[in-house]
Amino acid sequence: MLSTENNYLARSEDGSVEFTEVALNVTQALGDRLRLGVQLFARKLGPSGDFTAAFDWYYLDYRVDDWLGIRAGRIKIPFGLYNESNDVDAARVPVLLPQSIYPDHHRDLLLALTGGELYGNLVLGGVGQLEYRAYGGTFHLEGGAPSNPNIESTRTEVKYLAGARLMWLPPLDGLQLGGSFQALRYDAESTFDPAFTQVLIMADLAPADFGGVLTLEFPIQLWVASAEYTIGNLLLAAEYGRWWADLKSSHPTIIPSSGPTNERFYVMTSYRFAPWFSSGIYYSGYYEDVEQRDDYAKYQHDVAATVRFDLTDYWLLKLEGHLMIGTAALQPELNDGKELDTLEREWGFFLAKTTAYF
Amino acid sequence: MACLLCAGLLLVALFAPSARGEDRVAREFVMIVNPANPVRSVSDDFLARAFFKQMTRWDHGEPIRPVDLHLTSPVRYAFSNGVLKRPPQAVRVYWLQRIFSGRDVPPLELDSEAAVIRYVLSSPGAVGYVSAATNPAPAKVLTVQ
Repeated sequence: MLSTENNYLARSEDGSVEFTEVALNVTQALGDRLRLGVQLFARKLGPSGDFTAAFDWYYLDYRVDDWLGIRAGRIKIPFGLYNESNDVDAARVPVLLPQSIYPDHHRDLLLALTGGELYGNLVLGGVGQLEYRAYGGTFHLEGGAPSNPNIESTRTEVKYLAGARLMWLPPLDGLQLGGSFQALRYDAESTFDPAFTQVLIMADLAPADFGGVLTLEFPIQLWVASAEYTIGNLLLAAEYGRWWADLKSSHPTIIPSSGPTNERFYVMTSYRFAPWFSSGIYYSGYYEDVEQRDDYAKYQHDVAATVRFDLTDYWLLKLEGHLMIGTAALQPELNDGKELDTLEREWGFFLAKTTAYF
Repeated sequence: MACLLCAGLLLVALFAPSARGEDRVAREFVMIVNPANPVRSVSDDFLARAFFKQMTRWDHGEPIRPVDLHLTSPVRYAFSNGVLKRPPQAVRVYWLQRIFSGRDVPPLELDSEAAVIRYVLSSPGAVGYVSAATNPAPAKVLTVQ
């Protein structure tokens, strides 16, 4: 990975090779209706992941009939067209899926849940078929280390996560239209060092009765509308969504409550010119706050172009370039703690990735 | 008015029977099943759903066991484009997405038509395809509506 300005996903400005993923999965049928599966996954992408292998998903799946299946365990979250296959580099042309809808730095938020799912297909006679998924459960989300050494993260918890995805496959081969919705609540508690607490109170930055414990509640809702059309070797896809994250703070004078709505969308196309060569482009847009569209620290426009070479049936190479405008998707901790509005507004990002799969 | 016209054209494209139609007389493959399978004819839609594993049982309750030829087989190419409406490479991508998200595994893939016929004869719910020039007997050839 290499960027012309700003560090993105890793220390990319000087060039970085910190982008490695390894997956091994096993699926076994236990009779005609019951199946189990498990996947081990290890990853390193900049500061996230350290090659520690973890169970990405594992499940028991019982298919009552085509219109009803039940699965339980740790299951991938069906959100949008590609969230479930986000880690499957061989299944798409781009190296990075449009980051507005599938942000890698929010991977933990959208990856998988521990709980259950109902799913099925319903044939609608002459008007195609419906694919439906509904799920509920929770997942473990690591709290980020507070930037202040006088503050300790003492509790993080996802209270619940629930959602559904409905896709309509009309009787036009290759077309699917649908939508996904997800709601979750994330709670966090931080404990302030007593001396630091007194400093805040004396500086009027905290109320006099502040006991040193700050709790935050994040009820988050996401939705996305999706359309995909494949005809022959051509793929066309577009998605549009909005996410709400209402932050409720126990002490708004320290961390104010807020509730911006962000907007995310992309259009993408790819074409397989030959069995060994494909190419694709997309435009992805992200506004952190739909009420503030002019601040470049609160938006990100991304125009990407990719070429993919299938060197053998099981080995591929991709080259990808991004023209970025805006800094909203950047992480201050990768950019020496600088505020996003002090980073370069226009920058480029390049990737080369090779994947072996079998 | 222009919007209404476009919407009308889209609906016609979506629902017109001709959108799915093609000349099956010229097909380069035939669909085969186990002789004990009571089914005599199926539609392209049924076959597509069976090979994408969106439909998992025959009407008489037997699990459907689709079987493919190798990715590079010209017969598979004809079947994939004619019935699944996608080239084999695009179908492979569909299955990669399913495999690595834990949704399902692709149909069994065999290297030769002889192996497909053997599998169909040994598995009551199997459905496969071979070249139209091949005599699949004693496997039963399905009529595709």
